[in-house]
Amino acid sequence: MIATIKAEWRKSRLRPGFLIGAGVIAGITILVYAANWYLALHPLATRGGDRAIVSLATLYPDQFVNNVMGAAFPIGAAVAIVLGALFAGSEYGWGTVKTMFTQRPGRLTVWGGRLFVFGIWMLILTLVLFGVGAASSVVVASFQGHAITGPAAIDLAKGIGSIWLIFTVNGAIGLALGVLIRQSAAALGIGLTYVLAVEIIAVRIINLINNGQFKNVTEQFVNQNATALTQSFTSAAFGAAPSPAISADHAVLVLAAYGVGLVIVAAGLLRLRDVT
Amino acid sequence: MENTTIVETHGLTKRFGSGVLAVDSVDMSVRRGEVYGFLGPNGAGKTTTLRMLVGLIRPTSGTATVAGHAPGDPKGLARIGSLIESPGFYPYLSGRENLRVVADMASVKQKRVDEVLDIVELSTRAGRRFGTYSTGMKQRLGVAAALLKDPDLLILDEPTNGLDPQGMAEMRKLIKDIGQGERTVLLSSHLLGEVEQICDRVGVISNGKLITQSTVQELLGEEGVLVRAQPIEQAQDILTRIYGADAISRQDGAIRLKTKPENSVEINRSLTTAGIGVSELRPFERSLEEVFFQLTGEKQGS
Ligand SMILES: Nc1ncnc2c1ncn2[C@@H]1O[C@H](COP(=O)(O)OP(=O)(O)OP(=O)(O)O)[C@@H](O)[C@H]1O
Ligand SMILES: [Mg+2]
Repeated sequence: MIATIKAEWRKSRLRPGFLIGAGVIAGITILVYAANWYLALHPLATRGGDRAIVSLATLYPDQFVNNVMGAAFPIGAAVAIVLGALFAGSEYGWGTVKTMFTQRPGRLTVWGGRLFVFGIWMLILTLVLFGVGAASSVVVASFQGHAITGPAAIDLAKGIGSIWLIFTVNGAIGLALGVLIRQSAAALGIGLTYVLAVEIIAVRIINLINNGQFKNVTEQFVNQNATALTQSFTSAAFGAAPSPAISADHAVLVLAAYGVGLVIVAAGLLRLRDVT
Repeated sequence: MENTTIVETHGLTKRFGSGVLAVDSVDMSVRRGEVYGFLGPNGAGKTTTLRMLVGLIRPTSGTATVAGHAPGDPKGLARIGSLIESPGFYPYLSGRENLRVVADMASVKQKRVDEVLDIVELSTRAGRRFGTYSTGMKQRLGVAAALLKDPDLLILDEPTNGLDPQGMAEMRKLIKDIGQGERTVLLSSHLLGEVEQICDRVGVISNGKLITQSTVQELLGEEGVLVRAQPIEQAQDILTRIYGADAISRQDGAIRLKTKPENSVEINRSLTTAGIGVSELRPFERSLEEVFFQLTGEKQGS
């Protein structure tokens, strides 16, 4: 396993896709901070009075964990799907699957090494998100002359863990599709369509049936849980929030189940199928 | 050591999901230390067989033992280097970095990377991205990767595919060098000349069946000389008188004579003294096609 991890890291550390993905997430985070800062300072006069739609308080360092949770999803999930699909799918186009499977380690060991490194990349993207978010909040606070106090360490840890889980599970959707379809373009297309459209529409329709009789079904959908998990990070600064239908604990469990399930299905396919 | 086999298959068969019977009960044995040519036309089942030997494809039935283990067994893979179909590398990494990845995967020391780059004479261009490589460079890198493990068995699937004549010659020389000593090379090809130049023994596969397995000499059969001369009828008469009608046949306006190529001088002298102009005189090789048609018992062009 160590050998495959070494090989995997060597080949993906300079992979343009991951570097671009990190850049996109950094860019989006900065953009969200910049836009919210502008909105906070330029209250809309039209909406019944001089009210800011964004409170400056949400942009300060003590709130940055709660704030980046919103910034990260669903753009971050989409990036993760694309990266997963590329990571798994392009090996088929390049013919590197056969190169890797004929060296020494067995197929499942190769897959284990790949998953480990993919998980590391998702952690790197998560840390980029939190790092850029923290830096942006410090910039806002300095300009506004607000005291710089960090969030509680436990909240930071929970936030990082949650976003890593959400990125990794969405990445696993891309990975599994890449392995299933054996190419990246269709895999990322299908993955993105599912997350950005199919699931959202399906949830709306199912929730309408019989006055929401089947709501417990949609509560098992992957990104309903991801959304619920991100929304569980909130505070008074963000105003009153409706209590979410899905608890954070439930969300973590469902997401973890999806991640493990997808990875195992992909492992089975890799192990059993011919490499032609 | 001499008689031990390094590849042994029994009834090896692959039927693809689509119903294509790509490999049909192949019993093949490759001896340790030899250069074995796996010969067959397009679609004969060469690649499919080789993929089964390295564990990329699961046989539908039959068994194989490769380097002492079942195909795909990590213990066996550790002693096999292979280049199947086309070299598969990461286009965004340099040639050298690609080899480093493979070396890590195979648990081979990194210093071996520069050694194999030297062997395939790619050292000066190893820093360039693989995506920018020419076909010949890609092929060399593929061979280099196959050599990383310093394998007992080297499996090369049409390694001269897509190369220009000079590239082909260089690749053949390289394979010859590599195949010296203890190392076994199993090489697939559809070029009889290529196999003749580098291989000790050959297996001929057609329509998924291994038709024959023998030394190159046995496969090529009798030697012969091809003669083009003016006037051709007169030349044929003279040669018939010397060598007998059985030894002579006509093909595409030339005379084919079953005799040792060393007799060319003799043939030339007899014809020129008779005032016949000899425009071509050379040892002839039967084409792969002919060998095939003969082996499969069908008539050429029918
Ligand atoms: N994945 C696959 N699915 C279905 N049929 C296949 C597959 N791979 C190969 N075949 C078929 O199996 C047969 C043998 O193919 P194979 O690639 O082994 O031939 P080959 O001898 O290597 O030919 P070439 O000289 O063209 O490389 C062909 O009829 C081919 O169409
Ligand atoms: Mg082939």
